[in-house]
Amino acid sequence: MSESNGTRPANETPDGGLTRRRFLRRVGAAAGAAGLAAAGYVVLHDPTGKAGLARPKPITLPDYFETIYGGFGASEPRLVIVRTNGKTPVAEMVRLALEPLGGMGQFIARGDVVLLKPNVAFDRPPVLGATTSPEVVAAVARMCFAAGAAKVLVADNPIETPANCFYKAKITDAAKQAGATIVLPSARQFRDVQVRPGQPNPDRHEALGTWSILYEPLKTANKVIGLPAIKDHNLGGASMCMKNWYGLLGGRRNQFHQAIHEVISDLGYMVSPTLVIADATRVLMRNGPTGGRIDDVKQAGTVVVGVDQVAFDAWCYENLLERDPATLTYLQYAEDKFGPGTGARRFGQRNWKDYRDRGLIKEINVSG
Amino acid sequence: MPQSNTAKKMTTKDTGGFLRVTTARMISQSFFFVAFLGLFAVTTYLCLADNPRLIPWVAKFLEIDPLTAIATALATHAVYSGLIFSLMILLLTIALGRVFCSWICPFGTLHHVVGWAFGRWTTGHRIEVNRYRHSYATKYVILIATLAAAVFGSVQIGLLDPIATIYRSFTIAVMPALQTAAPGRFGDLRIYQLAWLIGAMLLVLVGLNLVIPRLFCRVLCPLGALLGVFARFSLWRIERDTDTCTSCGLCAAHCEGACDPDGSLRKSECLVCFNCIEDCPHDALRFGYLPPRHTEVTNPDLDRRRILVAGLAGLAFIPLARAAGASGKAYSSTVIRPPGAVEEQEFLKRCIKCGQCMRVCPTNVLQPAMLEAGIEGLWTPLMSFRVGFCQLNCVACGQVCPTGAIQRITLQEKLGLGTCAAAGPIRLGTASYDLGRCLPWGKATPCVVCEEVCPVSPKAIYTEWQQFLMRDGRKIVTAATAATVTLAELPKGGQTRSEPTVLRPNALRGDDSQHFYVKVPTAGGADQTYRIAGNGVDTIQIDGEFSQAPEPGDVVALLNEIKVPRIDMSRCIGCGLCENVCVINGDKRGVYVSAEGETRSRGYGDRDRSLRLTRTEE
Repeated sequence: MSESNGTRPANETPDGGLTRRRFLRRVGAAAGAAGLAAAGYVVLHDPTGKAGLARPKPITLPDYFETIYGGFGASEPRLVIVRTNGKTPVAEMVRLALEPLGGMGQFIARGDVVLLKPNVAFDRPPVLGATTSPEVVAAVARMCFAAGAAKVLVADNPIETPANCFYKAKITDAAKQAGATIVLPSARQFRDVQVRPGQPNPDRHEALGTWSILYEPLKTANKVIGLPAIKDHNLGGASMCMKNWYGLLGGRRNQFHQAIHEVISDLGYMVSPTLVIADATRVLMRNGPTGGRIDDVKQAGTVVVGVDQVAFDAWCYENLLERDPATLTYLQYAEDKFGPGTGARRFGQRNWKDYRDRGLIKEINVSG
Repeated sequence: MPQSNTAKKMTTKDTGGFLRVTTARMISQSFFFVAFLGLFAVTTYLCLADNPRLIPWVAKFLEIDPLTAIATALATHAVYSGLIFSLMILLLTIALGRVFCSWICPFGTLHHVVGWAFGRWTTGHRIEVNRYRHSYATKYVILIATLAAAVFGSVQIGLLDPIATIYRSFTIAVMPALQTAAPGRFGDLRIYQLAWLIGAMLLVLVGLNLVIPRLFCRVLCPLGALLGVFARFSLWRIERDTDTCTSCGLCAAHCEGACDPDGSLRKSECLVCFNCIEDCPHDALRFGYLPPRHTEVTNPDLDRRRILVAGLAGLAFIPLARAAGASGKAYSSTVIRPPGAVEEQEFLKRCIKCGQCMRVCPTNVLQPAMLEAGIEGLWTPLMSFRVGFCQLNCVACGQVCPTGAIQRITLQEKLGLGTCAAAGPIRLGTASYDLGRCLPWGKATPCVVCEEVCPVSPKAIYTEWQQFLMRDGRKIVTAATAATVTLAELPKGGQTRSEPTVLRPNALRGDDSQHFYVKVPTAGGADQTYRIAGNGVDTIQIDGEFSQAPEPGDVVALLNEIKVPRIDMSRCIGCGLCENVCVINGDKRGVYVSAEGETRSRGYGDRDRSLRLTRTEE
């Protein structure tokens, strides 16, 4: 709108005097600028400074078992174990284990978006038993598609470089062959999750209130299947189903080691998964969680499938890692926190051995 | 004001009032400049703790600076607290043009006075030096570049904003210079690193007035540029009657803004100083209401290309500045921010480097950063515990921060008292011992002055008795009784005889701060340690009796036991008083605070620098 020296526009009177139109335009422009400035200031005014620091609200994780819970009767098995002599393919073992639970169709419905959560924490080949086997990732992904899933995502937030870990553990290839999508973590994908409202109460062995979570794969998933490795863990006793959820978190996870048992039980509290499937054909018996020696790996030829995280971890600790679950501190904390089967979310049975007595743990032995 | 002989001074009769308008302007300039100096007198000669009502006034000029409000609003999407007052200046500019620059701005007044006092030109030279130059568009480039940077999270306007600059220069350079030149007259000496650079910058900027009057205002000032943009709407401006005007050019002789009053007035450059109206010998100029557009240059001297280049330069700054990671993963542990400071990347969206927190801090601990916090953090405040410490019951810095880079916290929030007990205190960092330098730990010398001064309750530093082998502490036994043992030196290589030990009598008796022990071997068992009650030249007497007396030829150890200090991480708030009083006085002390454990970054994912998982105290 800059007008150069000398030319006079048509709406000006010959002596340059004030016309009504010029008056309205000019005063209107000034008033408009003043009004906009004032409006901007008033709308953005933040007297205490808090508005400028507002962070996006934390998300809360839905209960991924909720829709299945109703179909679980008192006499349905909570845990199914398939033992073989090592010659049966993993896919077949998983299928056999799911049968007493009603097959994958009990858990996955048509159109579901399923998140598979393997343990890909370290840059290790599968034979060292420090990561989830690629066979079970491929098998479960295929079974989900067969049950009608629209999309299968595979995600983890490793300790070491994500792309390297997924590749070395052969999970990149396994997922691709099964048609699943790998979601590699990046800085922008994290948001806060509210594990529990308010401050954690140390007297109840609580450690997590709000924490940074890898939100990208969780955004669209409505079913979550945990695929843990079964490993010795120097600080926490063992890394199994509950510890596996560590891989969903971000932020300063290195602080967890100050209260590892409180945190592991809180991880189990945070996620109520649809299903947990562990390929325990290789079990890391000592020097976990990173392992590194073939000698530390036991060929156990077992697959464990379950819907109760406490029972799952207790059984694996006793029968695969060959230790006494009564000495595993985070299990005791989990039983306290989860409560006796109150609703879908906290299935943890205080006396998980009760399951065995009531026939809720099924063991299938396959020979030949 | 010097005038040429042919000029006719406008008399008060002509203006119809009792005061010439330029006189009114000079009074206004003086008023605001004296007010600005007065605010410095307040902090120099008064104790702010005794006069808390004065605290919000200390940084008032910053609050009325619209560039501060707009830049921080672009970065944070909020207008913090008192910054809303800068709307007044914007509205004033929309109505009247850049009156702020020549009637209010204290930095402008400084330039105006220096330019007027040291200009030694003839009228002809003056007219020439006040001609508009295309380089005056530089300030718009600076404005656009810094606002673009602000949009993407880095506020750098403080580097050249006139109010921030004059506040910073006076705080960090001028006052300490006066304090050095006349000790005691201007308050106690405050020291600030980089004072020389900031002082030199002030001298250079002010000195440029000898080249062109108000060079800073015309060429560099981003606030002037911002006001120049808004001045396009002004309803009044200097208007020239082309019929009366003889094109003598005298109006430009004292034109502060170099805005071509003798041609098409550049509205965005005119500082509304009214000198031209005064100087015109033909009364051809007046301050007119809605004069026609065709006799003015309405918009600033910018074309689309320049705007684009400036914007891109500003945008490019962000990734280049952030690439080194200083505000993220590669942060420096020496960047310890004041209590109430927000998380680092939020801080860089707010801090305008005005230096007011440094000014009101009672201990002088706040220093302007060099590159510790990255290039973005230049001149932002960080703590240097060599110089001071964070006084426990003080929250002054947050009270004066105009942009909320340091929030206005209460003492309750700072110390985690009352309703804030669950959240805990604000921690600035955590102290750690350098075990080689610390007197007790590394040099077996009693001290623990750090423990004594630790201000939190219960203290974050506690002491334990620890035993250390003394120098030449291994001795050989020549004789022993039930409660004494006589010693000789260990034979050195090749010697067949031991030399007798020579001790100062009762040197090993010890006192409250130091105990001495002798450790003797026992047959088939662990060593036994006994407190020394006294000693002669070569004989030691223990407290009580040996359960099994040493044999001649046994090797015993003399130990001294002193109190060693330890940090309780759950209590340490990083105030730095321990580091400040440590006997080891230099750059590296026996105990030092580092930024780990600070609470301001809690909850910010990867940028979280906290140490402890649980928040509540055990």
